[in-house]
Amino acid sequence: MGEVLIELEHVGVAFSAQRRISGGRFWALEDVSLSLRRGERLGVIGRNGAGKSTLLRAIAGILVPDRGTIRRAPVSCQLLALAIGFVPHLSGRDNAVLSGLMLGLRRRDIVSRLPAIREFSELGEFFDQPIASYSAGMTMRLAFSVAIQVEPDVLLIDEVLAVGDAEFQQKSGAAMRARMGEGHTVVLVSHDEQQISALCDRVLWIEHGRSVLEGDRDTVFAAYHRDMHPVGHAA
Amino acid sequence: MRQHLIELVLFSTYAELRAEAARSYLGLIWWVLEPAMMMGAFWLVFDVILKTGGPDYLPFLLIGLTIWQWMKSCITHGGYAIWSNLPMVRQVQLPPLVFPLVAMLSDTVKFLCIFVLLLVILWCAGYPPNSAYLALPILFLAIFLFAAGAGFVVAALVPLVPDMRFVIEQVLTVVMFLSGVIFSLEKVPPPLNELMALNPVAVLMDASRGILMHGQWPNWVGLSKVGAISILACWLGAIVVSRLSPRYPKLAT
Repeated sequence: MGEVLIELEHVGVAFSAQRRISGGRFWALEDVSLSLRRGERLGVIGRNGAGKSTLLRAIAGILVPDRGTIRRAPVSCQLLALAIGFVPHLSGRDNAVLSGLMLGLRRRDIVSRLPAIREFSELGEFFDQPIASYSAGMTMRLAFSVAIQVEPDVLLIDEVLAVGDAEFQQKSGAAMRARMGEGHTVVLVSHDEQQISALCDRVLWIEHGRSVLEGDRDTVFAAYHRDMHPVGHAA
Repeated sequence: MRQHLIELVLFSTYAELRAEAARSYLGLIWWVLEPAMMMGAFWLVFDVILKTGGPDYLPFLLIGLTIWQWMKSCITHGGYAIWSNLPMVRQVQLPPLVFPLVAMLSDTVKFLCIFVLLLVILWCAGYPPNSAYLALPILFLAIFLFAAGAGFVVAALVPLVPDMRFVIEQVLTVVMFLSGVIFSLEKVPPPLNELMALNPVAVLMDASRGILMHGQWPNWVGLSKVGAISILACWLGAIVVSRLSPRYPKLAT
């Protein structure tokens, strides 16, 4: 296994509950620990509101922990955000450049990939039209085509494996799986157990903002299922 | 890293200007038409109706309003920029100062368009180009730094206290009237006029009119003082933003 890139120790992240002078705080993340090594594909599972997305944003460095520590090797770490910075009155081409810059790409890199983005998004002539004229599906196709170009050392994915209509879902899902298979270091958050078990080697299970179990995929899934369906499992 | 941020700021500025031009039927024309209409309104009230002006009043007013509008838009647009970009702040890790900087740069480009029109009007009205124009880049730098300093401080605080927005517009209106934008501070009786002349905005207004109307070089001592205050404000704003930046991604818009 490669060296440890990111390590979280008892990390907690609190949000203020209301915009009041003396508003209370609630802890979206209470106590999560994990370590991520180079080349590892870590899946994060947990019920709705368990703190999965907050955890991902803390790993990305967007949220600074209110307690605990995060150690990060000098690597780039990017949350795969779709349609970030999109401006409705600009062309698909300009939006691709803008979004790519926001996601940390250099301008020359994104410009050299514009033909590939145009091709993958299947927008054709619409690529040079304002995205205000796009359907929701077209916008998502452009957004995904830009996002898939980003190549950070650690890729953080929050349930965006497949977008668009059935056909494009297959294509985007395949592109994402190919990307994850290239030996990149990935953290994937999803409700979809099948997706996680197909794509990840290790799994972290969190509940109510706390890590319950971290380990190899099968061990964690077995424990997770026992917890979710205690009766069914006993039968 | 630094080069990437420069690319990001410049392209975002281009995108903002381009999108703004595409949003309305007349597009770019509004950049000039809107301030021209506002200047017309002030001229009507203060010169035609109230007759506060004198022979030089029209150029005096046009210069004052052009410069003031630039400063004001940098302070308000830049000041609200982090707050209005909070949805983005929650998703990507970028230095928050990028957002006010983009707003201020696009306002500066718009100002330069209006300024060219102002020069044409001044030349037609009998105020020809002169050698003091050479001081304009330095004066513009001082004005930009002053507006940026004020804008950064506002930008740092508005996300935490959005209620400030309602106060800032009013404060800026008061500052406009106290800075000799609309009427000359010479009309204010002493000793109040001396006190008001200490106002950095008034110094910048005087310098602009001196160059454009009378071919006078700016008062370098006064201008350096304003420059020093502005750099201090920029530094303070940048510090406050970086101190508060961990809190921004947790805030609701």
